[in-house]
Amino acid sequence: MKGLLETLVRGLGNGSVYALLALGFVIIYKATRVISFAQPALMLAGAVAVSYLVEVTGFWLAVPLAALMIALLALGIERVCIRPMVGRPVFVVAIITLGVDVVVRVVVNAFIGRDVRQMGDPWGFDQVSLGPLVVQQRWLAMFGVTAVLVALLFAFFRYTRYGLAMRAAAYDQETALAQGVSVGAVFAMSWALAGFLAAIAGMFVGTGQGVEQTSWIIALKALPAIILGGLDSLGGAVVGGLTIGIVESLFQSYQGEYAPWLGQNFAVVSPYVVMLLVLLVRPYGLFGTREVERV
Amino acid sequence: MKSRALVGYLAIAALLSGCGALRGGDEEARTGAVTTGVTREPCPMAVDKNKGCIYLGTVSDLTSGPFAALAVPITEAQKAFWRRVNQAGGIGGKYEVDVQAYVRDNKYNPEVHRQVYNEIKDKVLGLAQTLGSPTTAAIIGDLRANNVVSAPASWTSAWEFEDVIIETGSNYCVESMNSVDYAMEVYKPKSVMAVHLAGDYGADAAAGAKAAAEKNGLTFTDVETPPGANEQGRAINEITKKKPDLVILTTGPADAATIIGQAYAAGYRGRFIGTGPTWNPALLKSPAAQAMKELYEQSSPGKPWDADTPGHKAMRDALGNVTPNDGYTSGWAWSYPMKAALEKMVASGDISRKGLLAAVKSLSTVDYEGMLPPEAGNFAGDPNAATFRQTLINKVDETAPTGVRTVKDFFTGPTAQAYTMDGPCFEKL
Repeated sequence: MKGLLETLVRGLGNGSVYALLALGFVIIYKATRVISFAQPALMLAGAVAVSYLVEVTGFWLAVPLAALMIALLALGIERVCIRPMVGRPVFVVAIITLGVDVVVRVVVNAFIGRDVRQMGDPWGFDQVSLGPLVVQQRWLAMFGVTAVLVALLFAFFRYTRYGLAMRAAAYDQETALAQGVSVGAVFAMSWALAGFLAAIAGMFVGTGQGVEQTSWIIALKALPAIILGGLDSLGGAVVGGLTIGIVESLFQSYQGEYAPWLGQNFAVVSPYVVMLLVLLVRPYGLFGTREVERV
Repeated sequence: MKSRALVGYLAIAALLSGCGALRGGDEEARTGAVTTGVTREPCPMAVDKNKGCIYLGTVSDLTSGPFAALAVPITEAQKAFWRRVNQAGGIGGKYEVDVQAYVRDNKYNPEVHRQVYNEIKDKVLGLAQTLGSPTTAAIIGDLRANNVVSAPASWTSAWEFEDVIIETGSNYCVESMNSVDYAMEVYKPKSVMAVHLAGDYGADAAAGAKAAAEKNGLTFTDVETPPGANEQGRAINEITKKKPDLVILTTGPADAATIIGQAYAAGYRGRFIGTGPTWNPALLKSPAAQAMKELYEQSSPGKPWDADTPGHKAMRDALGNVTPNDGYTSGWAWSYPMKAALEKMVASGDISRKGLLAAVKSLSTVDYEGMLPPEAGNFAGDPNAATFRQTLINKVDETAPTGVRTVKDFFTGPTAQAYTMDGPCFEKL
């Protein structure tokens, strides 16, 4: 039982990172109907920015500064690469984001160099006792920070004018435009928010173990999360991210014992198996909007 | 009649050159080619313009792959090695060696490796470096078919069975056998777990650990783990749950640090011995540093950067003011067999790929200037007799230039001594 609970805490910790990334995907998708494949690069850029800033400002200031920097970077990418494509097929824009991802990663790799870069975070691999459970502090930090950010995000959409504008634009762009909502500003805001969240996720990926050039691959696990939760559901992204984290963690702990015939490292593919199953059974995800098309 | 004969000759000439029969001659005249990858013209950066040039290719992980931190110093050391050879009079007083004209990046991807190898293969005599086991496996058929002698930047036991591959130092399989035997001497473990990447890097070491565990009567557990620091959850679980007395690690450095750091934080206090590539001096700055100092040792096929041998000294002098890294040490040491083979080939007069391969097959010792024992360069005997079986053990020491210091000098454990090398080890895991 103790082992199971510790496995769940690890899953919730890693799942929180996937949830932050998934939120970025969903926010951009809701605003622009495009899946942005630039999230991995923004995540890596955020982690690397923290690793440099931490030497100057200390960890606690480095994190918000890095997140703001990456938000600005994302805003810049939207203005330069994505805005001119408004009105073009979303497929084309998605391909452009793939290109953006590669370009940003090449630049970021130059800053990473050949060694692992450390975050200088206060957690390392230190553990803490929660009653009988012994868990890593960083998992609790991941979960706690994500919970706060998600609460702030939902409050932002619910109670602020910009949040309302974003919801309106997501619901119906033309009507929102007619009501005086600047859809361009909504696009920009969605990219900035996604960049901000990706940077925080990147920082957490680097806690304890550091980041290297290949760390971007982790961001791909947000894709099963958004398929599971539904492409256009913010709540779905959070639930999807946490679920994927837990599924992966359970497979890491128990698959060898209960299903050894699946091979030694089924945990690595488990998020994608979940994604395929969801696509077969419920293609619009748990909380996504069911699309009805007349033919 | 004359004009008809002329047309006939021209037609035949055109046909022959079209088929490529005359092209070799044309090219030879133009570039002064002696054979593929060897010219009478001097090297682009020749020390002595009167000597010809032997071109060797390099296919390495230079930018974005997982072993770039090792591969770049390896490549730099090899450039310095051959510069020193050229300054000392080159090969047999007739040729200099160029390793800079054909350097390609494989991104540690077998597909890319094959592609860039194909780009350079007709321009080089051999390969000064082909980095990685799976990547080299992608071109081994071509290397074999065309007699392209190559120095591998990897230590899988499969290379013992390839004539064209001139490996230096013990393979991962032997290295892990010796690690277990060393642990038997010092820590007296009762159980061993091999935590390793898939393929002939990790599986080769795991097979060695398994053989040594069987010989020593230890319980053995095999845990294959994927690459990536974030993916090590299961490996850490297995270690903390089964609590083996000894873990033989065969991963990349970041993976190793994550596994050791988290297992230590969870209260595990057994021993880790990692193969050469599990260490990187940058790990001293990671949160796992303390755990690695307490629990980890590195097995190694060669002595570290600051060792006191003429070869190490020559390397340090040639490289000058660089940040010490044992990638340099490996790259430098690996070049000695190629140098010995090239010298033998030039002396024999048969300057060709076949001549080079024949020279390799006649080498039973190589002068490593003290970096390794001469018998490490035995390429003449059958694989079982020629396999070099000595390795070292290093421990973490912050004061050492590359963060590790030798605690046990070259030794062969009883398992490796008795082992019959009759096929690649990883096939027996």
